[in-house]
Amino acid sequence: MGDKQTFLKQFDSIPAVFPVQGTARAHIHNGLDFPTTRDEYWKYTRVNAILDKDYIDNSWMPSSINEYSIPAMDSIDIVFVNGGFNKELSSNASESGLVFGSVLNQDGENKNLILEHLGKYADSEKHAFSAFNTSYFKDGAFIRIKKGCEIKRPLRILNLSGGVNQANNLRNLFLIEENAQVQIIAHNIGAELQGGFVNVVTEVSVGDGSNLEYYLIENDGDESSLINTTHVHQAGTSTAKVVTLTQSGRLVRNNLNFDINGQGCESNMYGIYFTSGKQHLDNHTYADHRSPNCESNELYKGVMTERSTGVFNGKIMVRQEAQKTNAFQSNQNILLSDNASINTKPELEIYADDVKCSHGCTIGQLDDEALFYLRSRGLNKLEASKLLIQAFAGDVLEEISIPALQEYVAEFIHKKFEDLDA
Amino acid sequence: MSDFLKIKNLKASIDGNQILKGIDLEVKPGEVHAIMGPNGSGKSTLASVLAGREEYEVEADEVSYLGDDVLELAPEERSRAGLFLAFQYPVEIPGVSNINFLKAAVNAKRKHRGLDDISAKDFMFMMKEKQALVELKQSLANRSVNEGFSGGEKKRNEIFQMAMLEPRLGILDETDSGLDIDALKIVANGVNKLKNDENAFIVITHYQRLLDYIIPDFVHVLFDGRIVKSGDKTLALELEEKGYDWLTNGVEAI
Ligand SMILES: Nc1ncnc2c1ncn2[C@@H]1O[C@H](COP(=O)(O)OP(=O)(O)OP(=O)(O)O)[C@@H](O)[C@H]1O
Ligand SMILES: [Mg+2]
Repeated sequence: MGDKQTFLKQFDSIPAVFPVQGTARAHIHNGLDFPTTRDEYWKYTRVNAILDKDYIDNSWMPSSINEYSIPAMDSIDIVFVNGGFNKELSSNASESGLVFGSVLNQDGENKNLILEHLGKYADSEKHAFSAFNTSYFKDGAFIRIKKGCEIKRPLRILNLSGGVNQANNLRNLFLIEENAQVQIIAHNIGAELQGGFVNVVTEVSVGDGSNLEYYLIENDGDESSLINTTHVHQAGTSTAKVVTLTQSGRLVRNNLNFDINGQGCESNMYGIYFTSGKQHLDNHTYADHRSPNCESNELYKGVMTERSTGVFNGKIMVRQEAQKTNAFQSNQNILLSDNASINTKPELEIYADDVKCSHGCTIGQLDDEALFYLRSRGLNKLEASKLLIQAFAGDVLEEISIPALQEYVAEFIHKKFEDLDA
Repeated sequence: MSDFLKIKNLKASIDGNQILKGIDLEVKPGEVHAIMGPNGSGKSTLASVLAGREEYEVEADEVSYLGDDVLELAPEERSRAGLFLAFQYPVEIPGVSNINFLKAAVNAKRKHRGLDDISAKDFMFMMKEKQALVELKQSLANRSVNEGFSGGEKKRNEIFQMAMLEPRLGILDETDSGLDIDALKIVANGVNKLKNDENAFIVITHYQRLLDYIIPDFVHVLFDGRIVKSGDKTLALELEEKGYDWLTNGVEAI
């Protein structure tokens, strides 16, 4: 592996604006190391290719964001280009009770909130890529939904990356105050990205009585790497749902962590992926039940083809005080090629005695009987497979409550089949 | 004119067990052939092999359909060429809507003939017309393929699909099993309406009753992978009366 200091040095000219950035820099320079496959949680995912690269800060800039839109989506968009905020491309629409802008551009009360919350949830002590993000992020989205407010239109964070060997450390902070409601889409696109590295950390605090839907769309292109770390901290009786759609990426690692702190919380994690080529996708999730009467649901479904490889590791922790926890987890995979593979594993740690927990994972092929039935009616193998895959993905698709986004995901599956056909 | 369907010395095995041991059968346009025979004699296997199920090892001197070597064609190519199998046990496919599936099937066939996709309006019209033909409840069309259908509904749905695809050669594998007497008449009536001089049907059944409604030109008895007797419709009556023993005595079963 390349030298850590050489790797880090490339970023040292980025100013440390927040105190946490200085602390993290010292830590990553002097103590914390990047993971290797000897680390349990990185056993199947090698990050050498990320660390060995020389990164250049590109001046790439899109002239418009039209081509990065989601058809029929009526969202309020803010735009980041290679990790920096772009005001011109961002929408200036606003709604009452909403603060939606860049982390760097806040002042007054909002700035104080950022100082209070930034770095509170993501673990820069133990997780090197989080520490790396904390150290060198240039900017990120700050979303605050004020107490009792319901935001009608979805908020979209468009994180564009472009250029050769570009690194992009985006750092988002969402504060959903009490009894608030919002839908957020984090749309990562490797627009003209060649061999880049996108490393996003998002911290989310969900207040009592609130309802958050958070959609992650990952489309950084087949030559780039993405590490996408999300921490959701739930308080009170809140509901949060995170849906992750992985569209592309040579290497994608998702870390999704839920701290379930309030009584009667509901935490939902859904994932959908369709990998091809030499993609490697690693989903690590963690539901940490710290208080009683909460429910977590997790369903990740994926289709893997060609030589793509995958990892799913779903950890459920039920602490002693988290009595009457209901936790469900399922990871289902369809392999369309003999060369595709996935390592899938649940990880349960339960210290409370009155708990309902279930988990399951499946790796299989399409049902031969169903395929034959459809083909006997004139559909070719690909068309028949497509109908079966659409059916397979159906229950995750239903969890996407923004119709335009649901359609976008269906279209993505459709498009994947067209590519396979070609 | 090339032969319609011609089968010579067809053999099929699965997992090393030979199920079909040399079948000869010729079907001409406008004909209805009934195939009867005891459980396990290979009737469904014959139907599956003709439809293109890939699990079997198949060999034959000839299996030709409209001039094509059937065994060389993928299941979907056989279907587009007008071959249709109404399954003995139609599979349930949760999550795939009947309508989307049928539209894809109809369009696959149209594409094969060089036609554009069917318009939404024409498709709905066609659906209504064919549903009426087999008196299939309209609500079933909106559900997933066969999911939660009763036994009889599944069979009706097979005939409905057949009506939608208007095959040249329809193979009905025990479509009558599980149908009540009224449904049996409706299904038989549907088949009779689809019948013309250009197409043909192979009807697999255990019961003479169906053949009162769909009148066969030929009746064949399949036993242990071979056709051991062929005759006209009176053979079915004879079987109804006497069973199979008189035919199968002396035929060696393995
Ligand atoms: N995978 C298999 N391995 C071994 N034998 C098989 C396999 N599949 C089918 N068979 C056998 O092939 C024989 C013929 O089966 P088939 O379904 O064709 O009978 P059938 O005449 O349609 O019977 P029925 O009247 O009960 O529908 C049976 O003995 C069955 O057990
Ligand atoms: Mg049978």
